[in-house]
Amino acid sequence: MAVRHLSVEVRLEPAVAVLDLMGEINGFAEEALNTAYAEADAKDTKTILLNFEGVDYINSTGIALIVGLLAKARASHKRLLACNLSEHYVEIFNITRLSDFMSVFPDEESAVIEASVS
Amino acid sequence: MSDPKPRAARTEAHMRRRLLAEFSVPSEPGNERLAMARVAEAIGELEVRGENLERLKTAVAEATMNAMEHGNKYRAEVPVEVVVLVEDQDLMVRITDRGSGPPPSRGGNAPDLEAKLEGMQTPRGWGLFLIKSMVDEMSITGDDGHHTIELVVRLGAEGGK
Repeated sequence: MAVRHLSVEVRLEPAVAVLDLMGEINGFAEEALNTAYAEADAKDTKTILLNFEGVDYINSTGIALIVGLLAKARASHKRLLACNLSEHYVEIFNITRLSDFMSVFPDEESAVIEASVS
Repeated sequence: MSDPKPRAARTEAHMRRRLLAEFSVPSEPGNERLAMARVAEAIGELEVRGENLERLKTAVAEATMNAMEHGNKYRAEVPVEVVVLVEDQDLMVRITDRGSGPPPSRGGNAPDLEAKLEGMQTPRGWGLFLIKSMVDEMSITGDDGHHTIELVVRLGAEGGK
């Protein structure tokens, strides 16, 4: 079974930099994720949104990478949000408590509205 | 390891036990998805569906990753062996590596996310916790040359945890 390596596109919406994630978030994803995060961070918004719409697999190493992004965001006083997680990964964000530190939205629109009003 | 059950009880249990799949995967990064897909295929007849199936798949993937990484040190030529059994209302998945030394006697407690976010702990260390959270029972046994993690899902009215 071929690994679907992560690719990430970064775009700027009003008040939020969005990372469109496509592929698998596992040990192979580290460079792509960190490079894209640095690009988003440089856009000088207060909020960065991780859009998981194109992601069908996250493993424990991927969870660790997301913890790393969250740590960077906290250190630079930015908000990290997530959207378009499947039901299963919403549960995993809940049991790992990631969702205590990173608001999870059902879709991009609701996340962007939240980012623009706060 | 000895089985404390009397011989008659063991025989009866084995008669009720049915092998659904037995296979191995090379210890190469990414192959946990192969194990996950094979287990999902093997249990197709059991009507484990939806979120219950996703939980089991995550547990199998994480257990296989642990076996490949910590047990077999990602040596591709050393396989991870997977056995899928059903006995009465219990679905069991056993994942065995060639690890040496005692198996982890503790594990699966919730990691300290605050400590990880403050940089006081490595961001890693989620595997056993995820496995334990996804199935009804998890146990780890081992001897000098093998470690086996057994995952159990109860096939009740809900079809799992």
